Amino acid sequence: MFHWRIDADSFPLGKGPMVMLFLFLISTIFIFARSEEGGEKLEFWIFANTHFEEYQARIPIFEAQNPGVNVQLINFGGTMHDKLLAAMLSNFGAPDLVEVEITSIGRFLKGAIDEVGFVDLRPRLESEGWMEKLVVSRFTPWSYRGRIYGIPHDLHPVVLLYRDDLFKAAGVEMNEVETWDDFIAAGKKATRDLDGDGTADRHAIVLDRRTESDYFPLLLQQGGGFFDEEGNVIIDSELAIETLEFFVSLFNEHEIATPVYGTWHGDPSNFAAMQDGKILSILAPDWYVGILKSQVPQMAGKWRAIPMPAWEPGGRRTTTRGGTMIGITTQCKNPERAWELLKFTYFDRGGLVNRYETTRIIPPLKSAWDAPIFKEPDLYLGGQPLGELFIEMAPDLPPRYQNPYWAEGADLLNDAIFAAVTEKQTPRQALTALAEKVRALIAKDQGRWGNM
Amino acid sequence: MKTKPRSYRFWNQQQKIAPYLFIAPFYLLFVLFMGYPLISSLVMSLYEMRGFQSRVFVGIGNFTDLFRDPIFWKSLWNTAYFAMGTLTLQLPIALLLAILLNSKFVKGKNVLRLAFFAPVLVAGVFVAIIFNLVYDQRAGLVNNELILFGREIGWLNEENYVMPAVILTGVWQWAGFNMIYFLAGLQGIRQELYEAAAVDGANWWQAFVHVTLPSLRPVIAFVFVVSMIGSLQLFDLPYILTNGGEPADAGSTIVMYLYKNGFQFMRLGYAATIGWVLFFIIAVISIVQLKLLGIFRDE
Repeated sequence: MFHWRIDADSFPLGKGPMVMLFLFLISTIFIFARSEEGGEKLEFWIFANTHFEEYQARIPIFEAQNPGVNVQLINFGGTMHDKLLAAMLSNFGAPDLVEVEITSIGRFLKGAIDEVGFVDLRPRLESEGWMEKLVVSRFTPWSYRGRIYGIPHDLHPVVLLYRDDLFKAAGVEMNEVETWDDFIAAGKKATRDLDGDGTADRHAIVLDRRTESDYFPLLLQQGGGFFDEEGNVIIDSELAIETLEFFVSLFNEHEIATPVYGTWHGDPSNFAAMQDGKILSILAPDWYVGILKSQVPQMAGKWRAIPMPAWEPGGRRTTTRGGTMIGITTQCKNPERAWELLKFTYFDRGGLVNRYETTRIIPPLKSAWDAPIFKEPDLYLGGQPLGELFIEMAPDLPPRYQNPYWAEGADLLNDAIFAAVTEKQTPRQALTALAEKVRALIAKDQGRWGNM
Repeated sequence: MKTKPRSYRFWNQQQKIAPYLFIAPFYLLFVLFMGYPLISSLVMSLYEMRGFQSRVFVGIGNFTDLFRDPIFWKSLWNTAYFAMGTLTLQLPIALLLAILLNSKFVKGKNVLRLAFFAPVLVAGVFVAIIFNLVYDQRAGLVNNELILFGREIGWLNEENYVMPAVILTGVWQWAGFNMIYFLAGLQGIRQELYEAAAVDGANWWQAFVHVTLPSLRPVIAFVFVVSMIGSLQLFDLPYILTNGGEPADAGSTIVMYLYKNGFQFMRLGYAATIGWVLFFIIAVISIVQLKLLGIFRDE
C-alpha cells in the first residue's frame, strides 16, 4: 500500500529541499495574507531626492486633514520615468500622482490624444481659477494639443552668476552689462592665460557644447524653440541659426567660453575648475544655485548674480532651463482626491516657502512671491537677495512648447551643436540637416498611421 | 480476472507524471519570463507603437530603417571596437597576469590575486563615475600624471578618444576577473607535460606555445565567447562615462541605442528590431568563435 509520509527521510530530495519548500509555502502564505493598510490609498511617484524630503515632511499633514487617506510616497530616482512608461504601456500599475521631468514628458504624449496616460487638468484649473494665479508661460512644457497634463513645480528662471572679485580685478563692473555685446567686451577683458602657455585657462563663461543644455535656453530667450505651438519643426529658423552662430562664436571667434570641465555642469571637475578661478560666469537657473551651495559651499561670498544679458537693449533678460510637473494618471481611481493632494503639495503657500528654504526653487504660484523669505539676503551671494532677482525675472519667462518628438530631436540637436562648435559643420548646415531629419521622422510616422 | 490494486495504479501513474512535475517550475517560469517575451518582441519588431495602447503593422519596415540609420551603424562600430579592444588588449593582459601569478617567482600571490580581482566587485556605475574623474581633460589623473602625447587629450570630449577610454576602463574592471579563469586553467595543467617538454629540450616559449596554450584551449574558448557576448551587450559603463553617448554619439553602443529608442523615444518596435539584430550578431559570432576554437570537434 502506498503511503505519503511527510518527514525528512522520505522527502524525495532530502532535508534541504524540504526546508526550502516549507519556507516557500510559509512566505507565499505571508505575502498573500498580508492585509492592505486600511483606508483609501493614494500612490505618489517622484524621481527627485530633494523633493522627497519636502513631501515626506508635509504628507502627514495632508493625511491628518483627510482622515482615512493613506498616501504612499515612492522615490524611484532616475529610473522612475522608465517604470512609469512600462506601467502606462501595460495599462496597469501606474501611480495616482506622479512628477515628470521636462525632457521626459514628450514620450508620454505620443499617439492619439485619448491614449495619453495623464488626466487633462485644464477644466479643473479654469473652473477653480488657478490659471491666473500661476505663470501662464510655464504651462507650455506640460501642454499639448490644447490639453494640460501637468502643473508646473517650478519656473527655473535663469540668471548670470559671475565671480564679482575676478571680474572687478579685470576692471569690469558686471552690473553695467546689459546685452550680449557688452558681455563679450567684458569677457575679453577678463579671460586670461594664467600660466603663460599661450592658451587661455581662465574663461569668462563655461558652456556645454556636448548637449543642448546651454544653447537651447539661449534660443528660448530669443523667443525661438525646437517646435512651435502647433508642433512644427522650427529649429532651422534664422533665429535658431543666428543663436547657434553666436554660441559658436563665444568659443571660436571671441574665445571667451570654455567647454564644461568633465561631461556636464554638475561634474566634480567643473566645480574644481570654479574653485581654481578658471570659470568666471555660468548661466544659472535657480536649482543650479542650490547645487552649487551644496557642492561648493566654500565658494560662499564669491558669486554675484545679474539678469542674463539681453539680445538687444531692452530685450528679455532671462530664460528657463529644466523643470518638473505633477500629473494625475488616467489609472487613478479617485482623481478628485488626487487633485486635492496635488493642490496641497503645489499650491500651499507655507509649503512653497519651505520648498525655497531647502531647494532654492522659486514657485510658479504668484501669491507666494511676497513671502519675506524671497527678500532675504543670500550669504552665498555676498548678501544679495537672490530670490528677489529670480522673482523679478519670472513674469518674463519664455514659453517652451512641448512635443512628443522632443527626445529624438534633442538627441540629434546635441550632435548638431557639437558639430558646429568643433567646426565640422557650419551652424546653418548642422541645423538644416537636423530639421530635415526630424521632419522626415515625423513624416514617416504620419505615413504609417496618419495625422494625429 | 484479478484487478491491480488501486495504490499500484497510482504509483504507476505518478511515476509517469512525476518527472514532468519536477521540471515544470523551470519551464513554467521560462515560458512566462523568457519564451513569451521573446516571441512577443519578435512580433513587436514587425510593428511600431502609435501611442500607448495601439500599434501599426510595418512589416520589415523597422529592419530596412535600421540598416539605413547612421546612428545604428555608429553604435555597431563602437560596440565592435570595444569587442576588439577586449579581445586584443584585455584578454592577453588577463592571461599575462595569470601566468605571472602562477609562476614560482612571484611573492604575495593571494594579495595580488585579490587586488586584481577587486575591480569587478565595484558596481559599474561607480567605476564610470571614478573614471570620469580619472579621464578629466584638465584635472584628471591620466592627463596630469601621464603626459603621453605631449598634449591634453580630451578623453571624453574628443570623438576619437572616447572608445579607447571606455576600452581601458573595461581592462581595469574585467582583466582581473578573466585572470581568475586563466589561473584556474593554468593550475589544471599537469606538471608532467612540462617535464616531458623539458626532457625533449623545449625552451619556455616552446613550452608555452605547445603545452600551455593547447591545454588552456577550453578555458580560452569559454573566456573569449563570454567576453565577446559581454562586450556586445555593453551599456552602463559608456552610458554613465559619456553621459548618454555624447559627444556626437562617440560613446553610443547597440544596447544604449536600443534603450534610447525603447524608453526615451517610445519606439518599441524599432527597439525590438535592434534587439533581434543584436541577437543575430551575437549568435553568429559565438558560433564562429566556438568553431574556430574547435569546441565542436569530437575529441
